[in-house]
Amino acid sequence: MMGADSGPGAPAVPWRKVLYERQPFPDNYVDCRFLEELRRNIRVRQYRYWAVVRETGLIAQQVSCVAVFLTLWSYMEQGDLEPSLVLWVCLGCALLGYGLYEILGGACVRERTRLADLQSATIFLAFTFGFSPVLKTLTESVSTDTVYAMSAVMLLAHLVSFPYAQPSPPGSLSLNAALFGSVCLASRLPGALHTFTMLSCALLVFALWPCLLHRMRDKAEWSFPWAAVLVCLAGVGGLGSLWPEGALLLSLALLTLTLLCPLLLVLLQRHKDNIHGPWDEAEIREDLSRFLN
Amino acid sequence: MVLKIFFPQCCNIADSGLLIGHWIPGHNSAVVLAVVHYPFIPGQVKKYLNQMQSQSQVHLTVLGSWSMPKEGKEGMDSFLKDLSTIFPQKCWLQLSREIGKTGFTCQVVQNDGKLLQDRKEKNDDDSSEEDKIIFVHYDQRKVMLSQLHPVQEVSQKSEIEPSELRLVFQTVAQSQPLFFLDKYDDGPLKLTHWQSEGREASIIAELLKQASVPVCIFLTWLLSLWHWFCSFRILHSWPVLFISSKLSTCVQSGYRGVHFKTVFSPQKAATHMDFMRKANIFVSFLVDIALGLLLVSWLYRENRISKLADTLVPVADRVAKELQELLEWLMGAPAGLKMNRALDQVLGRFFLYHIHLWISYIHLMSPFIERILWYVGLSACLGLTFALSILSDIVALLTFHIYCFYVYGARLYCLKIYGLSSLWRLFRGKKWNVLRQRVDSCSYDLDQLFIGTLLFMILLFLLPTTALYYLVFTLLRLVVVLFQGVIHLSVDFINSFPLFAIGLRICRPYRLAEGVKFKVLCQEPGTPLHLMMEINPLKFSSVLQCYRTPTYSGYPKDSWAALSKKLFVGELIYPWKQKTTKTD
Repeated sequence: MMGADSGPGAPAVPWRKVLYERQPFPDNYVDCRFLEELRRNIRVRQYRYWAVVRETGLIAQQVSCVAVFLTLWSYMEQGDLEPSLVLWVCLGCALLGYGLYEILGGACVRERTRLADLQSATIFLAFTFGFSPVLKTLTESVSTDTVYAMSAVMLLAHLVSFPYAQPSPPGSLSLNAALFGSVCLASRLPGALHTFTMLSCALLVFALWPCLLHRMRDKAEWSFPWAAVLVCLAGVGGLGSLWPEGALLLSLALLTLTLLCPLLLVLLQRHKDNIHGPWDEAEIREDLSRFLN
Repeated sequence: MVLKIFFPQCCNIADSGLLIGHWIPGHNSAVVLAVVHYPFIPGQVKKYLNQMQSQSQVHLTVLGSWSMPKEGKEGMDSFLKDLSTIFPQKCWLQLSREIGKTGFTCQVVQNDGKLLQDRKEKNDDDSSEEDKIIFVHYDQRKVMLSQLHPVQEVSQKSEIEPSELRLVFQTVAQSQPLFFLDKYDDGPLKLTHWQSEGREASIIAELLKQASVPVCIFLTWLLSLWHWFCSFRILHSWPVLFISSKLSTCVQSGYRGVHFKTVFSPQKAATHMDFMRKANIFVSFLVDIALGLLLVSWLYRENRISKLADTLVPVADRVAKELQELLEWLMGAPAGLKMNRALDQVLGRFFLYHIHLWISYIHLMSPFIERILWYVGLSACLGLTFALSILSDIVALLTFHIYCFYVYGARLYCLKIYGLSSLWRLFRGKKWNVLRQRVDSCSYDLDQLFIGTLLFMILLFLLPTTALYYLVFTLLRLVVVLFQGVIHLSVDFINSFPLFAIGLRICRPYRLAEGVKFKVLCQEPGTPLHLMMEINPLKFSSVLQCYRTPTYSGYPKDSWAALSKKLFVGELIYPWKQKTTKTD
């Protein structure tokens, strides 16, 4: 198209790139200066390998969270763990995490009062405790395989839809899917207290832990990798105590996620080829601040 | 122009005389209504015509002369021609019959003296279209009595110009006073036209007509008494009004009251439709009463009432027992479905307790059932429709437990469906924006999400159990509604069937005309074309459509799709007052 009609019959008038003048050119005419404005990769960020590895820690620790949760459930189903003990540990963890959260966010303005937090906690506990007998019998007539399949699908959906860019507050779909899966699993436990314990754990792991982790990443950046590694180790270790081959698979998966995938990303960065030019949509570049004042 | 002359059959063999009739305005046609015989005094004829005209509102004129040749009466033709000077007209028809010929000839004299003859008589070859004369013979009595459909009342001025045929029918029907003058009457004029059988033949009918007015006034007074009773304030309080609107007996009695008000109004029915409506309602009422009396005579013979009462209680017991078995089946694992056992037990016990209540209620009632039935059966004297309505109400009362089950099931199911649909939006992090009537995304709090998910799961896993109970009870309810619907339809049929119109159509087909057909009588050279006009009776379907009494609209107007949607969502179907306006 470009320069197609720059033959001998071309008019002597130079072409101008304006629409408000009638010119002796067809509407789709451009001259040979067209490609001069082509720009490549102007807004590409060059990732560095270790920075990417650091960021993938979030994904790895989320996968490990699911592994930790499943380990806990498995122990409770076999009856190796007393639900009261788990409850106490959960309470301790919750209090510890809440203290940490408060300390880390000390300077910034609080969005919620302590009373509101207490209210929320009461609602959680009351509803979960009240509903746990109902939840226990809810899936009684559904076959165990179906329940396992449902919880697997739901936990996978949790991992897929988790808002990794902005983990706090947790996304609706991911949290709901995780809760759905955990209720399914909890209904297979032997008693109502087990169910209650399991749901409290689910709340801790899937709802509160991402909030704390987010704050840690914001306020104390050094602590984030350690926390992620710790969770990963806990997940692998927990799974290993139950099913060593599974632990091996999980650790392989985690290594792939944290080391191999970033490597691939960084290597493939060279092939990136974005072109920009006058055909892009218009962008307002002018500094508007002087109008705002 | 073709000149059409509508000629009554009864005047074919009349003695010579003057033709009396009416020129149809706007059309080149004349309707002959009667023949005045000799001897007459022209002044008396004119006076008589004026008198008739004021009675019948039809512009009667002398159309021309009629000559019937007889032995010894020759030389009348010239006299007949001279008559046109006595009765000045624009056109003067001279009809004459000849002995031995079936058709008769016609001469038209314009008032300027020009003889405008039927050309056929003179030269057959160049018979032009302009001056043809067609004789249309009609049966005067039938045309007078028949009503052309679609009905267009004379009084109402419609935009559409009435057709020629309609004008002919109207003219003949309106000139009824003309036909009252009997041939036995001693008067100055002798006329030939259709003769009624005479009033003496219908003394009873006349007496009834005379008696009907005071009877109607008395009955209207009784009706007003009934209305006064109905207008008591206590009958308009909410529960009474609600219950009476649900009982088909009350609905039927109200409907009957409206019917009576129409029939017994002392005013004479002004239009054809009014008359037909009154007659239809009256005949339906009589048939209804007759059928009801038949039922009563059957019911109160051979101790049938007590037999019926003896079977009724076991039947109700049996139904309750069957329901109990159904519930026990549902409480197990019905059709291999996996239900939530706890909820299943709760619901099953709840419904079983209801049935238990119901059975004890029936047994409490059983000593009185025979007496109740005896009194209720008397209501059939008021008509079969009342008996059917009471049967429908009894069925409704006896299956009240099924209705209760249905309502509980539907409410529960509806609650679950609505809860699930709103919690499913919460599950996806959306919400329903009532201001914009759409689904918006929304960020919920942690506790909202947590409790919402718990409730969602509970509702989801309990849904099949509720849905099964709802399905079973809805099917039961539908069976009852179907039965009641059949009864209501038959009551409605008796109420609205135009029995009088159908009878009229069968016995007197010409009374309800849809149009006419023409048959060629004779077409001899030298005489004009003679046609016979016969009346096409109205089709039965049109009779039904036209004269069906409008009925009360107590039926649900849902289409099938809307009904199934309602059933799916769990909204209550008939009988329930629907909220028409939904305020969001």
